[in-house]
Amino acid sequence: MATALFVGTDKGAFLFRSHDRVHWQQEAPQFKGWKVTAIGRARDGRFVAGSASHVYGPLLHLSDDLTRWSAVDQGPRYTNGRKLEQIWTITATQRGHYAGVAEAGLFFAVDPEGPWVAVPGLNDHPTRPAWQPGLGGLCAHVVLENPVNPDQLWCGISAVGVFRSDDGGESWHPKNRGVPIAIPDKEHKEVGFCVHGLALDPRDPSVLYRQDHLGMFRSTDSGDSWQHSNAGLPADFGFPVVADPHTGAVYAYPLESDEYRLPMGDAMAVYRTTDQAQSWVARGQGLAHEGGYASVLRGSMAVDDQSGIYFGTTAGTVHYSTSGGDVWHQLPCLLPRILCVKAFNL
Amino acid sequence: MAQVSVHIPSILATLIGVREVAVNADSVKEALAQLTSRHPPLEQALFDEAGVLRAHVLCFHNAENTRWHAEGLDRAVLAGDRITILQAVAGG
Repeated sequence: MATALFVGTDKGAFLFRSHDRVHWQQEAPQFKGWKVTAIGRARDGRFVAGSASHVYGPLLHLSDDLTRWSAVDQGPRYTNGRKLEQIWTITATQRGHYAGVAEAGLFFAVDPEGPWVAVPGLNDHPTRPAWQPGLGGLCAHVVLENPVNPDQLWCGISAVGVFRSDDGGESWHPKNRGVPIAIPDKEHKEVGFCVHGLALDPRDPSVLYRQDHLGMFRSTDSGDSWQHSNAGLPADFGFPVVADPHTGAVYAYPLESDEYRLPMGDAMAVYRTTDQAQSWVARGQGLAHEGGYASVLRGSMAVDDQSGIYFGTTAGTVHYSTSGGDVWHQLPCLLPRILCVKAFNL
Repeated sequence: MAQVSVHIPSILATLIGVREVAVNADSVKEALAQLTSRHPPLEQALFDEAGVLRAHVLCFHNAENTRWHAEGLDRAVLAGDRITILQAVAGG
C-alpha cells in the first residue's frame, strides 16, 4: 500500500510518497508562499486543505490526488463581524465535515465544496463573551466524533476548553471538570481551560486523552470528568496527542513548561502509552538525544492506518516510525516551520 | 462599459491559473466585482468579512493607489486602463 505524507508549513506544503515507507520521494512544493494550516480527507475520499496568508486570509482547497488543488468558492466565512483568521482542522464525520477555525468557531458542510455554514450552538455559546485568545490565538483546533454514536462530538478550543455535543452538533457543553483552569473568568467559570491536543481512544470511545496546557489528562466518561495522567512524562506541557487506530497506543511530545517550550533535557523524545495513559515511556531511538531543541505543534503529529507515526518540527524536520515509536527515521529534507502533518494510505 | 485589464500577483494567480483577466466595467469596484464573480476564491482573498479590501492588499488604477484618492474603488475607468493588485510591503 502506498503512503502519502502531507506536510503543511509556514511557506507551503510538501508531499512525500512511498511504497514501502523506507524509500520516500519528495514532490515539488504546493501552495508555495502560503501557510498551509490543516489537511483532512473528505467522506468521498477527496483531500481538503486549509491555507492562510497574512495578506489574503484563509482559504479552503480540494483535491482528488493531493497534487492538483482547487479553491472552494463557498468556504467558511463569518457574517457576524468576527474575523476568519485561520482554518485549524478539517474533520470528516458520518454526517458531513467540520472545519475548526480562528477566531474560534466551527463551520459545517455536507459536501466539502460548500456551502460551509457556521455552527451556532458552539460559535454563539453563552460563554462566548469570556473566550480569550491564548498565545496561539483563539482557535477551535480539534473536532472528534464518537464512531459508534455520531450524535456525540467533541471540540477543543485553546484557552477556552473542551466542549461536547450529544445531539449531533446542535448544542455544546463545556467538559473540563478535573482540569485546572488556566485563564479564570469572573463570570463564566466553565471556560478558561487551555486544551492543546485531544484524542479519542480507538478501542473505547468513552476514553479521551487531552494534552492540556497544564498537563496530560484522561477521561473515561466521555469527557464528563478528567484525571491527571502524567505518570512517566517528564513535563506537563506539550501540544499533540495522537492515538494509533489499530494498537490503541497513544503518543505525545512533552515540552518543558509554557515558559520554555523546549524538549526536556536537550533531547527530542516521543512518549508512548499502551495502557490508556496509566503510564508513559520515552521512545526516542533515532531522534536527537543531544542538542535537540525542536518543538512539535499541535497539528504536526499523526498516525496512519498502518501504525506509522509521523511528526514535523518547528525546525522543519520530519520524523517517522514504523515500529510503534521504538526506532525513528528522519526524512532528508529541511522545510519551513511545520504546522500540520497527515499520512494517507492510498 | 470599458474593457480594462486586472493584474494579480503571482501568489494569487496560483488560485485561478492566470495573472491577467480582462473585464468590462465602469469603475474599479465594478472591475473587481467582475473579477471575483468569475473567480470566486479571489473574493475571500481580496476582501475581508465587511467587504472591504483587506488591509495589506493594494489596488492600483493605472499608476494611482486607490487608497490615496477620496473616490477609492469608485474611481471611473476608461477603456484600456490597467488595474493592478499588489501585496503591501509589510515590515520584516
